[in-house]
Amino acid sequence: MIGLQLVNARAGEFRLHDVTFEVPQGSYGVVIGPAGSGKTTLLETIAGVVPVVSGKVMLGGEDLTHVPPERRRLGIVYQHAYLFPHLTVRENVEYGAASKLAAGDVSERFEVDALAGRPVASLSGGERQLVAIARALARRPEVLLLDEPFSALDPRTRTFARRQLRALYYERRFTVLQVTHDFGEAGLLGDVAIMLDRGKVVQKGDPQEVFRKPASAYIADFLGAENVFAGTARPIRAEPPDWGHASDSAFAQLPVAFTTDTLTFYALGDVVPGPAHAVIRAEEVSLSAEPAMSSVQNQFRGRIVEILPNGALSRVTVDVSGTPIVAAVTARSVRELGLVVGKEIVAGFKATAVHLC
Amino acid sequence: MSFTVQPGAEPAPIRLEPSPEPWRANPAHRAVLAIVVGLLSSLFLLFILAPVVGLVASGGARGVTSLTADQELRASLALTAITATVATMLGMLGGTPIAYLLARRAFPGRALVAALMDLPLVIPHPVAGIALLLVLGRGSTVGGALYAAGLRVVGSPVGIVCAMLFVSAPLYVSAAREAFARVDARYESVARTLGDDAWRAFRRVTLPLSARGLTAAAVVMWARAVSEFGAIVILTYNPKVVSVLSYDRFTSYGLSETLPAAALLVLLALIPLAALRALRAGEARVR
Repeated sequence: MIGLQLVNARAGEFRLHDVTFEVPQGSYGVVIGPAGSGKTTLLETIAGVVPVVSGKVMLGGEDLTHVPPERRRLGIVYQHAYLFPHLTVRENVEYGAASKLAAGDVSERFEVDALAGRPVASLSGGERQLVAIARALARRPEVLLLDEPFSALDPRTRTFARRQLRALYYERRFTVLQVTHDFGEAGLLGDVAIMLDRGKVVQKGDPQEVFRKPASAYIADFLGAENVFAGTARPIRAEPPDWGHASDSAFAQLPVAFTTDTLTFYALGDVVPGPAHAVIRAEEVSLSAEPAMSSVQNQFRGRIVEILPNGALSRVTVDVSGTPIVAAVTARSVRELGLVVGKEIVAGFKATAVHLC
Repeated sequence: MSFTVQPGAEPAPIRLEPSPEPWRANPAHRAVLAIVVGLLSSLFLLFILAPVVGLVASGGARGVTSLTADQELRASLALTAITATVATMLGMLGGTPIAYLLARRAFPGRALVAALMDLPLVIPHPVAGIALLLVLGRGSTVGGALYAAGLRVVGSPVGIVCAMLFVSAPLYVSAAREAFARVDARYESVARTLGDDAWRAFRRVTLPLSARGLTAAAVVMWARAVSEFGAIVILTYNPKVVSVLSYDRFTSYGLSETLPAAALLVLLALIPLAALRALRAGEARVR
């Protein structure tokens, strides 16, 4: 378990302010945040490398706030590996290993055993990172701290490293806290997501929940939500005609009219009337040639201004009275609907797809 | 000045004059610049080199041959090398922790400590000798206590070591600090998470990674200690190190008699300098 209670710390320019969160024993936590938000400082504070000014750092249920790093039973892997350049690969992996057997085992798993005799200077970036992961795991840590360990890897090595790490994680069930700026990776790996900004935890919880319901427009923007609108929220009494299609859980919330400069659409939420932000993920926006007779409460006619193919999905931007609405649609839909720049189209989304913050 | 727009008149085309070529772009100017820079550099190099080469050429051979016959010169050379080595070792012992702290830790008074370490570099060396005499002379508290304990500082090799240490240790601390600063502190952090305590991480990681830089710092300190004169001459005229011997012979017998000792001193200082260059060349290859 990793638990931080109102932790304040400082490392050079970076500060942590009242950081509080918990990653349960054997869970995989991910820390997300922009550059300079204090992600590495957070890991180093947990590792004991950066001293805590105030607050508590709990590891495995024990208060280890003032315990030196070597007695915290954890491992850290930095983005830049930090292999000891005066040692060979084998000497690096065995540096703090629980045993030679443990070092040999992880070396084999991460396929660095073949590099054992080589000096660190002769390794590629990917090889260095695999050795760094093996070195941290050879110690059999109870907590593993990962600072963007896969970011410099080529896609094939990244997949391999993730798979091997995941396999070992399921096998040993140590607690992991990984820093990433890639929310796809966070959603893929994490049980708990912690969003950090300027040294403060701005949101935490289930990664999918953070992704779908960001606590602020800033977080929504950082997490890649294309449709973030500033406007005014106003709870309404009258329900739109197809309100009954909303899910049961949605009934617990009030229907809300959200007004931007040019649009008014329906949402569900427990909001105070006044200025707010509405977030709609591009995946929740559908496109059709004519208004659809369905549960989609918000439908707007507009003109396509941009189509950006991106893997299996295309990002289609529809200009609705000067407000761009982005929809993520499959390449097949693009073909079937004959979507081209300049074409008139109807963009629609459910009231339940609108997240107000 | 006013402009009148005539209805229907075509606006006069704007003529763009080519901007004047920067003087650097002109090949003739570049050649002149190269000649001036080359000349100045050559003159400067000659200014440094000519006296040294002249000295070694005039007295080097005589200095080496006189080593067998000139016992005083031989003893002086040995004394210089030994006292410089002892001073360097003491400098490393006391200076390494300070250099490490200055490179790695933020602590109250850090800037003051750094400034204090640079102080001997800006004090004229005879003045440094006088200051040392005040503290270590037999009449002072410290010097008197040392003398009572059987350790004579002034007029002994101990005084030479003290003078050498005072004037050359700041060079070691400064270079060692740079050497430590070049090693990323995260290597130590990783070592700590891998089970090393602070001392073990320093010994197993930081020290090997900064070894070349520390050796270079020690070499610089040794070379500076060997060539010291001003502070030593105040604290310990006798026994004579080579620099004092050269001065003594110059004032007593004239230039000709000084040349062998002076040339040998230059050669003695050249040995660590050559070693330092070799070390740095090796370092560049490793990078």
